[in-house]
Amino acid sequence: MMGEFSVFRIDQQPGIRNHVVILSLNSFCNRAVELIATAVRGTLPLVHPFGRNEIGIYRERLERTLEGVVLNPNVGAVLLVGYEPESTKALLDKVTQKTAKPVDSVLVLESGTMSAVHAGVDKAMWMVLGASEARRNPASDFEGFIFGVKCGGSDATSGVASNGAIGEAVDRILERGGTAIFSETTEILGAEHIVARRAVNEDVARKIYSAVEANEKMAMDAGIDLLGVNPVPDNVRGGITTIEEKSLGAIMKTGTHPIQDVLSYGQRPDRPGLYFMDSPSAASEVVTGMSACGAQMILFSTGSCNPVGNPISPVLKVTSNPRTVARMRQHLDVDISDVLTRGQSLRDAGDRIVEAIEAVSDGRLTTAEITGHLEFAPIPVGL
Amino acid sequence: MTSAPEAPKWLWLHEEDNVAMALSDFAADNTVTVNGTSIVFADAVPYGHKFAVKRIGADEPVIKFAETIGAAKRAIDIGEHVHVHNIRSLRGGAR
Repeated sequence: MMGEFSVFRIDQQPGIRNHVVILSLNSFCNRAVELIATAVRGTLPLVHPFGRNEIGIYRERLERTLEGVVLNPNVGAVLLVGYEPESTKALLDKVTQKTAKPVDSVLVLESGTMSAVHAGVDKAMWMVLGASEARRNPASDFEGFIFGVKCGGSDATSGVASNGAIGEAVDRILERGGTAIFSETTEILGAEHIVARRAVNEDVARKIYSAVEANEKMAMDAGIDLLGVNPVPDNVRGGITTIEEKSLGAIMKTGTHPIQDVLSYGQRPDRPGLYFMDSPSAASEVVTGMSACGAQMILFSTGSCNPVGNPISPVLKVTSNPRTVARMRQHLDVDISDVLTRGQSLRDAGDRIVEAIEAVSDGRLTTAEITGHLEFAPIPVGL
Repeated sequence: MTSAPEAPKWLWLHEEDNVAMALSDFAADNTVTVNGTSIVFADAVPYGHKFAVKRIGADEPVIKFAETIGAAKRAIDIGEHVHVHNIRSLRGGAR
């Protein structure tokens, strides 16, 4: 029934999953993470190829992502698998000031991978036992909720229907106390005048314009025509021609509320409302960044379909393309193709998205969770 | 937003738009009537792709969502497929 669902309470925030994460801090730690997660049922291994020698924004993005994974309310406990003590302790000290959930660490450079696995299995086991004791509590609004809002595998149906339906759901979420974050700086290029008009003040409008200018300068400095980079070939096959056309369709998913601020990749918003995260556009990386911002769920509009998921934050797939429904049902959660086939209203489609959000909050699995699409990509590059 | 009454075959979003979106696979010589104008397709137009509902001169803006989505690379006649072969972006490194 609409308006009644249940959530875990983690650090006084609503959580819709209760993961025990085994988190690699460095590519050399991936092997230990995999072995610990194989040994201890009920754990979620997170590995990636980074953690050494990154600089500048790439370092910041990685650090915010690792910290964001630990603090995300869908995570009940975390075992950090670090390489050397200095950086591992630095992260442990930082997060333990911000969370009451169990967080512990093991080190590979202490006495080897197998020894770290031995110590890690023991710690992870009791974390799983503790997490299994958590009970869900009733919820009826979206206070404390953060939703990432993303489109991917876009085609011409996205801009005229599924993005607009998600925009309706975003308005409803904000009216019920929640927060939403949209992103993809390249995909407001050509629509920035419309987005900036919705900024809460002049300062935020300026931040939006300057994020777009910096992004477009990257394309111009590289001397590239965005065609083929963004829009990508499957967008073009689906009827999208220019980045302007893609952007004007993409911003429909942001609803109508004012934009409170521009966030960096993985930066957590400090008040409820609608936010823009300045980031390149690739789906796995953007979704990972939104999860690091604290998002419990990602609302994902797709045209020709994109199978992406996330290990921490369930990704709810919505399409309005009836051909995609017939072809790619295994990667979809909400079918609103009747907007185009029968003229059903976007408002009604938005209601069905909100119902699905409540069901998934309540524990229903998304297709991405079932198919095992758990992409974790902490450092976005590109446009 | 204007579309055909039942199982719409096309979608014309705004009166200012000089393109409409196909909600069917059209072949050359198929006909539709958009806002009282009878349109004969000059080319095949796949599902989701655009066709011109007004004549667009070379370098003139292509309008969808009542906004500029690019410029015509050459003159485009009513009923022509409007896609990457005859429209260019005005943004990024392409200008």
